[in-house]
Amino acid sequence: MEILRKTRSVCPICLKPVPAKKVLRGRGVYLEKECPEHGAFSTVVWRNREDLNSWIGDIPPLAEGENLNCPNACGLCAEHRRDTCCVLLEITDRCNLNCRYCFADNHQGSDPSLDTVKSWIRDLVVPGKTLLQLSGGEPTVREDLPEIITYAKEVGCRYVQLNSNGLRLAEEDGYAKKLADAGLSFVFLQFDGTGDKVWQQLRGRPLAEVKETCIRNCDTAHLGVTLVPTLVPGVNIHEIGDIIRFAIKNSPAVRGVHFQPVSFLGHMPHLPADEDRFTLDELLYELRMQAGKWIHQEDIAPSACDHPLCGFHGDFVVMPDRTLMPLTRRGSSQGECCCGVNTVNPAEKNREFVGRRWERRDEATASQGDSCCSISAPKSGSSCCSGSSMSMEDFLDRAKSHGFTITAMAFQDAGNLDIERLRQCSLHVYKDGRMVPFCSYYLTPFGE
Amino acid sequence: MSEAKQKEHVENKEKLICCRCNKELVPTQTFFDYLGHNFHTDILRCPECGEVYIPESLVKGRMAEVEQELEDK
Repeated sequence: MEILRKTRSVCPICLKPVPAKKVLRGRGVYLEKECPEHGAFSTVVWRNREDLNSWIGDIPPLAEGENLNCPNACGLCAEHRRDTCCVLLEITDRCNLNCRYCFADNHQGSDPSLDTVKSWIRDLVVPGKTLLQLSGGEPTVREDLPEIITYAKEVGCRYVQLNSNGLRLAEEDGYAKKLADAGLSFVFLQFDGTGDKVWQQLRGRPLAEVKETCIRNCDTAHLGVTLVPTLVPGVNIHEIGDIIRFAIKNSPAVRGVHFQPVSFLGHMPHLPADEDRFTLDELLYELRMQAGKWIHQEDIAPSACDHPLCGFHGDFVVMPDRTLMPLTRRGSSQGECCCGVNTVNPAEKNREFVGRRWERRDEATASQGDSCCSISAPKSGSSCCSGSSMSMEDFLDRAKSHGFTITAMAFQDAGNLDIERLRQCSLHVYKDGRMVPFCSYYLTPFGE
Repeated sequence: MSEAKQKEHVENKEKLICCRCNKELVPTQTFFDYLGHNFHTDILRCPECGEVYIPESLVKGRMAEVEQELEDK
């Protein structure tokens, strides 16, 4: 056994802060910790499908005496290492599904009033910058959702994102257009697989057709859709390649895929076993195995805004022959100045990156052909393709219309919470005037 | 040359003459490498010595846009 990094975590039973260490044991890396009251715990965090140290890069480990108040005093404190990239706002607890895995409790209670929601938005907004994620529950159960969106844009939110299961967007004629007209920027659509077996297992009903209708309706309303699969071992890991194939086929309506390996938030009676977890490096491995036709190892880079163990991103353009042109190069030092210090606020840079790519940027009426050199009429008077080169004008047109991202976010729970990661979180939940790092906000103890 | 003046030249299709060779610059497909990608666009070039004229409007316009599209998170 080799100790790779020291950090701190919480007891998964009582949530008291405890020292922790990442240790290499056999073929995996485990987070090990011990609570004086509840005993020792070990959780797999990496399965060595990639080299952990080179993936983490130069991110320093948690030093003695740093971030001692994490996570009990969250909000954001002076020691938190990232500004807010995206703000998540829960506007309802109600939902029209009853999912096996959900970080939000489904209370079916009463909603906060429209005035209350508006006052929250006024409080959280940084005009011209904020990326606001409207979440729940299922936000579309609120009849005043269009008014909320309009208000958010009026007070200066740069992007308004809807986190949705897509039911209402599929089933109600004109609803997607109503939200688009209100100012909605894009939709994050729960999308766990391409067949009904997965939907039945994870969401309790067949939803494949509903999801496809939702995507069609959003396309008609010119709303970008990013597919968000929750990846659960034994349920839909084998669907990763099919989900990417489906997404590419449905570009530009679909802007990309945002994978979320299952995390155990909300009330869980028992600690999950290691085989119930799907680590980020396993996802990278499965991408190569199932989607190697489109995506190569060097096309995906660790998150630079959040901690590398919290996510990754790959930026692409869907070409007329439905291949992916990779734009990301792992290990490139883009965005850094000559001395290697990133002079741009990482949260701001990340926000602009995702906002621009998840939004539809093609003209609403444009219909681009799928044969090379008829992508659009070449403006340069020359062919768009010339060997391995592409005309600058046609690249810009295609990147704007058919930009495509493969991203992932691995949320933490009480079993694998790592303060080294938490202190770099840029996804914040707004609650009672405070911004709270996502995994701290939804942290729940295991047990009855 | 000011940006406005350059634009005027390009839009009015006025002739630009290479000061070294005294030849008129002609639009020529020109290749650029940026962050491992290769692009081409038509740039005015001297047919004699190969000197190119890249207007500021191109640098601040399409070239900057390409850079933005390729820039990583």
